[in-house]
Amino acid sequence: MSLGLQGLGADALSRWLGRAMWRLEHAFERARASDKPEDDTRLRIFFVAALFAAGFLALAIGATHAALFSDVGREDAALVGAEAARADLVDRNGELLAADLLHYGLYVDPREIWDEGETRRALLAALPELTPERLSRALRAGRRSFLMGGLTPEVRARIFDLGLPGVTFEPEARRVYPLGSTAAHLIGFVDGGGQGLAGAEAAFNDGIHDASRDNHPVPLSIDLRIQAAAEAELAKQVAKFQPRGAVALVVDVHSGEILALANWPTFNPNNPGGASDDARLNRAAASIYEMGSTFKGFTVAAGLDSGVATPSTTFDARQPFQLGYRTIHDYHATHKVLTLVEVFQHSSNIGTAKLAQAMGPQRLERYFKAFGLTQPAKVELLESARPLSPRVWDDDAMASTSFGHGMNVSPLAVARAYVGLTNGGKLIPLTIRRLPPGTKADGPQIVSPRTSETLLQIMRANVTGGSGKSANVSGLNVGGKTGTGDKYDPVARAYSHTKQVSSFAAVFPTDGPLEAKRYFVMVLMDEPHPDETGADPTGGIAAAPAVGRIVERIAPFLGVRRRMDTAPFTEVAPSPQDSGEEH
Amino acid sequence: MSLLDRRVRGFRLVDLIAAGLLVVLILGVYLAKTMAGRERSEIARAERGIAEEKARIRLLQAEVAHLEEPARLERLSQAYLGLASLPIKHDVTPEALYDAARASQAATPPSAPAPAQPQAPVPATKPQ
Repeated sequence: MSLGLQGLGADALSRWLGRAMWRLEHAFERARASDKPEDDTRLRIFFVAALFAAGFLALAIGATHAALFSDVGREDAALVGAEAARADLVDRNGELLAADLLHYGLYVDPREIWDEGETRRALLAALPELTPERLSRALRAGRRSFLMGGLTPEVRARIFDLGLPGVTFEPEARRVYPLGSTAAHLIGFVDGGGQGLAGAEAAFNDGIHDASRDNHPVPLSIDLRIQAAAEAELAKQVAKFQPRGAVALVVDVHSGEILALANWPTFNPNNPGGASDDARLNRAAASIYEMGSTFKGFTVAAGLDSGVATPSTTFDARQPFQLGYRTIHDYHATHKVLTLVEVFQHSSNIGTAKLAQAMGPQRLERYFKAFGLTQPAKVELLESARPLSPRVWDDDAMASTSFGHGMNVSPLAVARAYVGLTNGGKLIPLTIRRLPPGTKADGPQIVSPRTSETLLQIMRANVTGGSGKSANVSGLNVGGKTGTGDKYDPVARAYSHTKQVSSFAAVFPTDGPLEAKRYFVMVLMDEPHPDETGADPTGGIAAAPAVGRIVERIAPFLGVRRRMDTAPFTEVAPSPQDSGEEH
Repeated sequence: MSLLDRRVRGFRLVDLIAAGLLVVLILGVYLAKTMAGRERSEIARAERGIAEEKARIRLLQAEVAHLEEPARLERLSQAYLGLASLPIKHDVTPEALYDAARASQAATPPSAPAPAQPQAPVPATKPQ
């Protein structure tokens, strides 16, 4: 016998296995002897073996593939996921504005703690902001519970090194705003769950989540250098005039990109809960004001475009003007017959109201609607406020709105209208998203290019010889319009003589073709107080100088070079009172 | 005797070869899985290290952004270096330098002869 059973050992299992193999071997011979090839067991065994081999081969390939290429169980998956919840926000030059940074949440499981006293002492010493009450609650919870979030890797390492049992960490993404309060209202902030609540964080919430999957930053329209200049100059003006609130804006008139949006008071988006509602309020978008004389730019543009007036059309401002229920006076009465340019320069209420009367209320309403003043400013910011406009456009409404009363609009709405009036006449949406360089946004034509050109020159004339002199910057041809709107006092049920909104809406440079680079700049002070000189803090005093300084600082960043100063139209002799304008 | 019919210690050679192949196959799969597992843990460790480095880089980027906050830089440059924003009149392109120099020269008063000494005051006299 060739099987050699001795080699298999003496136990019963080995003997049984040996006999089974022996029978199997002889099965071949039996099949051959019976001359039935189809019963040949070898053939069957061959098939079974082939099937087994194929099965093992498939398993081998599957195992190799699973071992080498599967993502299941990767240890850093949670880390990557935590970090990529929201994409970075950057300014138009790629400077970091907001980022999700890896932090850690601290968890405590009292069931695993050996020495509660030691754990308590160690944690309180390592985490000064942790209150004993909160720690006690977690230690009494009887299960693993969250103790504290937002630990930086350094703090986590410090606590980890203490080797406390029952103290564990979990990675979590935390939104960080490295620039603190810089551009806080435009950037916005998120809630604890990583959902945007304000500013660009809310406006682009879905886009920011989507961009995080592609690991791309979301570029905003602001330029950090311009933003910083606007904030710095606004802060200086705030220190001088102690207003209740203030706004500064810089917008590219061709693309509608908001290059700077500054608010005061401001807040730190890293701790939005620590700021008051007033500080978190984005006054540029969410507050509406009766702007006062900055509206005269709109009335004058409407008058020019409708053909009712030309720059040389005259208006008799020698006597107060009765229109509707109102008697209209000039703040600094000239008692003269004024051309349209002089009406603008002296900010004559009488002249503007007469121009509006010549147009008629319906036509004025149509123009104001076309300028976007009766709708929330078109911009991605969810905070963009709905304006208050007259229900009925009659003589009273026309008289008031022609010089900026009876209509409450947001600074962004004013900016959008002026952008449309100074870019050749196209009402374009404002945007906080960076657009490709050289973008010229399109929109409905609200005034003719000729009107746009003329308005630019009239605005320039107001700076060379009108109420906006303090905004002049030699070589940059700034044009603009001051505005001082008395605020309505709901207690007295009348306009206040002490509370006002002072603003200056400017554009620079005013020379060159309509397609040339041009920027809108606005500063608004809500309830400014007189400075040490005691002068009435009108738009010409409280806002225009800040605009001039902002323009001077940002022109090099915008590539606006110095050029010959222009002085369109006949310059009027400035009067001592012309540093301001009427209420 | 064909190769299929050859026997070694009573077992057909072909069966032994098949059994050997099977053992080699099982061993191969086992070794491949083991070696791949080791490689996998190495890769995971490297990837974890990369992720941690990336997190550190992001942290440093945020810190740089914080330190380079424009308002902070302005404060520091004013306090320690006495720097201030450049007035626009100091901004000139290389092409315009010649014109600027000429304008500057024109603005400078020409070197004039020494001013004449004031004459002795004439006492005011009443008209005769």
